[in-house]
Amino acid sequence: MRISDSLILDRPEQNFFADPALDRAFGVVMALATEVYVQRDRVRALERKLEAAGIIDRADMDREPSEDERQANAEDREAFVEGLMINLLGKQQAKGAS
Amino acid sequence: MDDRSFVAAQDFLLSSKTFWTKQIYEDLKRTYEDAVARSGKTPTTPADVAAILEGDTLYRYFAWLERHLQRLKYAGRYGLVPYHDERRSVLAPPLRDTGAELSPTLEMPSYYRRVDIHQHPGGVMSDELDGYVYERGARSTTPLMGASHADLHHRFTDLVAAQDAERVLYGRILDMGCGFGKSTQPFHEAYPDARIDAIDLSGPCLALAAHQAPSRSSPKVRFRQMNACATDYEPDSFDLVTSTMLVHELPPGEIEKLFAEAARILAPGGRMVHLDFHAIDGPFARFMHYGHGLRNNEPFMQPWAEMDIHASLSDKGFTNIKVIPFQEAEGVDLENHAAWRFPWTVIQAELKTGG
Repeated sequence: MRISDSLILDRPEQNFFADPALDRAFGVVMALATEVYVQRDRVRALERKLEAAGIIDRADMDREPSEDERQANAEDREAFVEGLMINLLGKQQAKGAS
Repeated sequence: MDDRSFVAAQDFLLSSKTFWTKQIYEDLKRTYEDAVARSGKTPTTPADVAAILEGDTLYRYFAWLERHLQRLKYAGRYGLVPYHDERRSVLAPPLRDTGAELSPTLEMPSYYRRVDIHQHPGGVMSDELDGYVYERGARSTTPLMGASHADLHHRFTDLVAAQDAERVLYGRILDMGCGFGKSTQPFHEAYPDARIDAIDLSGPCLALAAHQAPSRSSPKVRFRQMNACATDYEPDSFDLVTSTMLVHELPPGEIEKLFAEAARILAPGGRMVHLDFHAIDGPFARFMHYGHGLRNNEPFMQPWAEMDIHASLSDKGFTNIKVIPFQEAEGVDLENHAAWRFPWTVIQAELKTGG
């Protein structure tokens, strides 16, 4: 599903922040937040269906994970955090012209 | 997009709007009041309020959210327009033969074409599914009212009918700017024997009104495509002319024409009643309301709010002119409401018997 060209107009942008970059960046944040909520809603629906079918026990899923499970997720978690936070360092990852 | 994802996204946006309506607005109002207290000066105009708030970070987010939550609601990835567009093959055919009296050659006024009101892409009249989009969008226009939004129209109709306890005054009713019929049905229920004509510029909205309204089975109710400022009715055609949330969509010159047209087609002694936004208490509320108009693509809210209604209506032969704040839902405190709300107002007048 793509956003239709008919919904993209050549009209002046309304800006509310001193730098229009922040207006646009916050738009990205809200679009992502919407996606996160859509996924969250779908996961909950899936869990309800699976529990109704006797496949999972949601109370069991809600329990604190065991140390083994946390360790099993650690590598994936660290990679996720690195990919997110490395952007704050301003480090270059390819040689530029200067 | 699947239905679940659409509903989840729209629910998320509505919850965000509810947070905006309560917490952000209330914090912003406190910010403003603290700044006023510190300055020792009392603002008297919206410009005074703007000087205090426009550089404030919370106000910038308030304004951004007011504009962009509405944009995402209509035109985002999970917006009302793409959702209905994907269901066109199912939704559109039943709208093509509804009994609504459409005039495909009716010229749309330039103000109506120039701005996409409510940030509804293309406005409410350019696509055959616009009635559906508008109807779905209107359900979440006022977050705190929730499911009681439809009750607003019944409360308005009850107010009008309360001044006619025997239900005998209004045998002929004109509902101007009826949209998808949300205002027409309560009048049909209150006055089942009255002949009701419901008119609007938008063909798609009228088609949906005729398709959905239980009143469509009644020969007493007609949905007709027409400009309320220039109707085809003869003088003395109606006992009551009414509208809900129409007037603020019109530029001042068109409002004058609307009132003049109501005077022309009303019976002597007939009544005109509009539910709209007008009675605004204080410069802070006025600043917020004018900002809402700009951010929501409703450029005529400000000139309408500043219009001298009494002078305009008196000139056109109306008397007993009243402009009354309207309680849109049970429990709303008109004097001390904490959360953001529209300045709901009833404007009513009677045509002079000799006028």
